[in-house]
Amino acid sequence: MKTNLTLILFASAIFLSGYAFSQTGKVSGTLKFNDGAPVAFATVFISTIKKHALSDERGRYELTDIPFGSHQVNVSSIEIQKHDFSILIDKPSVKVSTMLERAADSELAEVIVEAESHKSEIEAAGFAVNVIETKKASLNSFQTNDLLNKSVGVRVRQNGGLGSQVSYNLNGMSGNSVRIFIDGVAISTYGASFSLNSIPPALIERIEVYKGVIPVHLADDALGGAINVILKKGAMNNLTASLSYGSFNTQQANVSGSYRNSNSGFTVKASGFYNYSDNDYEVWGKFVRNILANGRYEYVRAKRFNDAYRSAGANIQAGFTNVKWADQFYLGVNVSDDYNEIQHGTYMTIPYKGRFTESQAKVFSVNYVKSDFLTKGLEINFNGMISDRKEVVNDTVRWNYNWFGEQSIGLNGDPILRPNGAQQGAPTINHINRNISTFRGGATYDFSEKHRMVFSHMYYTIDRTQRDLMRPAREREFIGTRDLTKNISALAYEATLFESKFKTNLFGKYYQQQIDRMDPILVTQNGETVKSEDRVASKNTTSGYGLATSYVLNKGMTILLSAEKAVRMPSENEIFGSPGENIIENIGIRPEVSNNLNLGFRSGPYQLTSTSKFTIYASGFLRDTKDKIVRKINPRLNDAVQTDPFENLGKTKSIGFEGEINYTWNENFSVLLNFSKFNSVFNIQYDPNGNEYNYYNQQLPNEPFFTINSTVQYGFKNLIQDRSALNLYYIFGFVDRFYTTWLEIEDFRTPRQFIQDIGLNYVFPSEKLVISADLKNIFDQQAYDNFAVQKPGRGFYLKLNYSINKF
Amino acid sequence: MKKQFLNFLTLGALMSTVALSSCSDNGGDPITPPVETEDRFITVAGALMGTNPGDGNGGTMVYSVTKEEAKDPDTQISVYTEGFGVKSNRTARLQSSEDGSTLFNIAYTGDNGGEFSRYTVIGGGNFVQSDVSVNISQYAGTSPRWLKLYDGDKTGIALNMANITANNAPTEADPNPLTPFEYYRGVATILALDLEESLIRNYVQYEIPLTEEEEAAGHTIFRLDGSVLNAAEDKLIIGTWMRKYNVATGETEGDYERLGTKSVVVDYPSFANPTVITSTVAHGDNSGYRSHYSYLGDDNNIYQATERDPAGSHILKINQNNEYDNSYVFSLNDALGLTGVTIEAWQYAQNGKAFALISHDGAENGFVVWMDLNAKTASIVDLPYDPDLEFNQYQGFVVDGTDVYMAFTPVGKNGNIYILDSNTGLASKGATLVNQPGNHYIGIF
Repeated sequence: MKTNLTLILFASAIFLSGYAFSQTGKVSGTLKFNDGAPVAFATVFISTIKKHALSDERGRYELTDIPFGSHQVNVSSIEIQKHDFSILIDKPSVKVSTMLERAADSELAEVIVEAESHKSEIEAAGFAVNVIETKKASLNSFQTNDLLNKSVGVRVRQNGGLGSQVSYNLNGMSGNSVRIFIDGVAISTYGASFSLNSIPPALIERIEVYKGVIPVHLADDALGGAINVILKKGAMNNLTASLSYGSFNTQQANVSGSYRNSNSGFTVKASGFYNYSDNDYEVWGKFVRNILANGRYEYVRAKRFNDAYRSAGANIQAGFTNVKWADQFYLGVNVSDDYNEIQHGTYMTIPYKGRFTESQAKVFSVNYVKSDFLTKGLEINFNGMISDRKEVVNDTVRWNYNWFGEQSIGLNGDPILRPNGAQQGAPTINHINRNISTFRGGATYDFSEKHRMVFSHMYYTIDRTQRDLMRPAREREFIGTRDLTKNISALAYEATLFESKFKTNLFGKYYQQQIDRMDPILVTQNGETVKSEDRVASKNTTSGYGLATSYVLNKGMTILLSAEKAVRMPSENEIFGSPGENIIENIGIRPEVSNNLNLGFRSGPYQLTSTSKFTIYASGFLRDTKDKIVRKINPRLNDAVQTDPFENLGKTKSIGFEGEINYTWNENFSVLLNFSKFNSVFNIQYDPNGNEYNYYNQQLPNEPFFTINSTVQYGFKNLIQDRSALNLYYIFGFVDRFYTTWLEIEDFRTPRQFIQDIGLNYVFPSEKLVISADLKNIFDQQAYDNFAVQKPGRGFYLKLNYSINKF
Repeated sequence: MKKQFLNFLTLGALMSTVALSSCSDNGGDPITPPVETEDRFITVAGALMGTNPGDGNGGTMVYSVTKEEAKDPDTQISVYTEGFGVKSNRTARLQSSEDGSTLFNIAYTGDNGGEFSRYTVIGGGNFVQSDVSVNISQYAGTSPRWLKLYDGDKTGIALNMANITANNAPTEADPNPLTPFEYYRGVATILALDLEESLIRNYVQYEIPLTEEEEAAGHTIFRLDGSVLNAAEDKLIIGTWMRKYNVATGETEGDYERLGTKSVVVDYPSFANPTVITSTVAHGDNSGYRSHYSYLGDDNNIYQATERDPAGSHILKINQNNEYDNSYVFSLNDALGLTGVTIEAWQYAQNGKAFALISHDGAENGFVVWMDLNAKTASIVDLPYDPDLEFNQYQGFVVDGTDVYMAFTPVGKNGNIYILDSNTGLASKGATLVNQPGNHYIGIF
């Protein structure tokens, strides 16, 4: 490959644009220390036209579309002393070489600072957001869900090991109220096979966790918050690969690379991943028992035997970047596949054998971004995706099994049948196909440096069909279909005032949802019974609004305030009911509404001594949910048809606070400590007789409400080899005990958990190869996210990372 | 406080309903008056709300008082503040020993669903759980339906009907069967639980066919519950909840012409030879809900209530040949002069006298009805009825001599224990039951 084509451009698309109708030129430069070594990752900035570039590892940079004339160029990096120089652009291509003075700080430290600057930019915008950087974590054997779980205010509740079912709790809100996005696109577009379970951190640039108040570019009916995973886009012309192996036969591999031809702008990005685990970790304790033929318990220690998980996927995007007609234009294909065995249901007391799901997804996408479109300051973006998702749930094994994976034998010597015909319920081989289209378009217009309007519109439609091969043919013909269409428009106004001290973002969102129900029915026509279709549509519209503001009080102290009237649209079951689950329809059901408020601050860094400093973040929050959709309780249980609708009856309130302290010493020792405590309370005060409920303002059961996480890191430089780095870390996670029912008895209380991990990684001098080792849950404690579901015990993992930049 | 129990005397009192009843003629006065216990515990159970008022899904608490205390309106019982939590995620399925000294529970759903446990009643909020637990979920699921037989606290019967499918449903072996449709059937499980030893004594699993014609129309047994032992103790009579499928679409039908009420009769204790008997009098189900729905009378006949009955609940009679006596017609609609009467729970007392908890068309709340099964008369017992009084989760009465003890609390309001005299149909007020918003008392054990 031609090396002269390879220059990294970290420049943000907003600032990179072409003046199509005026004469412009290109600057190609090199930054060098006075000893001749290249200055990598320095920012080159022309302030008059707001053009940025970053130098690559060889110190090279490129700035395009610079109007003819004289310009002042500013070069900055922690490695160098600040340097300004002027250049004259009088021809299409100008070459320049700059010598710079070395500063005191090291090269590695600078990489970290660069990574955090993007993080702090998002975190300072006023939203209650934390940004999880995956750069360092991707070197070790972490799962994406591990990273989220260590983050402040996020609780990931997983039903076992790698690949198992996951739910996310953000500041006390969970389930349907939390939406997950990948690059701003709802994760349902990609399907189960391309989920946070399967995407390795190495493919992720960063994860943004928005709590309660969600910016317009993630417009969706996310009542409680949103998790947005940003996949890697950054560096061009590189290749990275990693391979890891560990306990429970866990294997993970991923590779990603990109190429850009700097003449034509042609760009290709590709990545692939493979995950596998037997998840055959040991479980024990009061929930792990074999039931003998006479019904007595035999408590056992056993390995999980029906819990293997495999996922694989690939993503390729090809197009043009930083060309005259587009900042980004990509056509892409994403394919993924997974296989997931299911060991048990809600509780691990009854082991399953032979229940599994398989899913595949094919996603075709088109992406277009252009800044200064038609006029200066107007950026447009468009993203379209068509996805074909297939899923099969397979459960046909009729017998009971014990924790040793053996058939349970009854008193009469025969194997015992499962009470409902198969492991979890009735026998099923249910094929569920979904066709999902998502189109998002948006425009951003900068009136001036200080004022900006953002508009975004999302269209989402899903057609779902299912076919259960275990149902008779005539029954299959009478399964209805449900098609959902959502349109969400959002408009925001952003202002940066008072010498950039005050930032505000005011927004409104308008939601439209239509669900079409089609149920086949039999009608009599001319004395003959024929199949017909019963169609009903439900249309719901609603609006929400909010704001996010930040104010810089003094140097390093930023106050953050955000609030939103957030909504969640009712789901198809909540509207149309589900005869199989005895739910009847309620076409008139309204969306759930929640008033969410966050108030907090970010402060620091404060210099303690010349070598140590710390930063603090703290935030309080309130989630006041009304019209919560709950199942109606029918007092007349003996009614002929025992069915009930969903209603807008519930009210809950979640109030709490969270905080984070980050301490660093000498650039090679750091401690991160965060905690989150909240009360999700029952919020209906009076019964119909005017008496106050005892639960009023009481903590809802089955919610972990107090968690602490900490990460301690220590780095050695040049310990074994020159220019090598050895990093050690120690992590602990604490979850306080909580009751799982209103009945506060010890049997329904989870244990207090204190899980500790240690690990190290070694960066070889070339910085191409990194080797890491992790020991998780070092004391083999029983770990639980969900009541009566044990997570993996002690595990050891080894990982190799290899990357080539510049080829 | 240590209590002395005359266990076999109390046991004898209840056995009298079985053994001594042969001395009484049909409908006449009993020759031997029913024996009252000298003293016994009266245990009240209350259901905590879960997410919604009155749903009872927050768990169950119990509290015990002496019989004297139970009869005294000055006694204040506050099960929610002073009671003991029974280990069940949802409303417990409680039963008590005939002398009230032991409580039996099978946890309903949750991590311990199907787990049978025994509690010794010490008094007040003190209950001691025996250290042996037995779990029937392998056979009967984690939400089993079960009842104790009136056989001297020896046996509990749990029932389950699983995996109702068409005969020509695809299987893994035969994914595209060409067999024509004949029936929908599930697999029935009948299980005997040894209450003394805390272990499973016996179980059977089989299909229970209806007639060819009934099955061809899509009728099937959807649920089994409400079992009762006959006088000869050689047959178990099991109540049914029927369902009909639309054979053309496979969908469950809501509104259809119901068959005559059916019971399943099996040999006891082997559970072999299941047969189905059908009433021509009533068309409702008779599986009950969380409590006994069929009782062996002093006259050795079985009396069975019906629900979801198009003509309102009936009391049916099954004679000593284990067949419906279709000459016995007792309609609650007719006897009360109301429509849509539904028996939510009922209790046979003695000598053909019984009490039922009913709802009916146009009524907001539930009512207590005194019934004379021999005279086929019924009347509403004079009690302080309240619009929030619901009996849908009611599951326990205590019969002591001619008295029947019941808990009477509207949802979220205080109520009382009432002692109902089965000879007169009169209620006397007992201990006050202190309630909490959204909660209700669900029974006496």
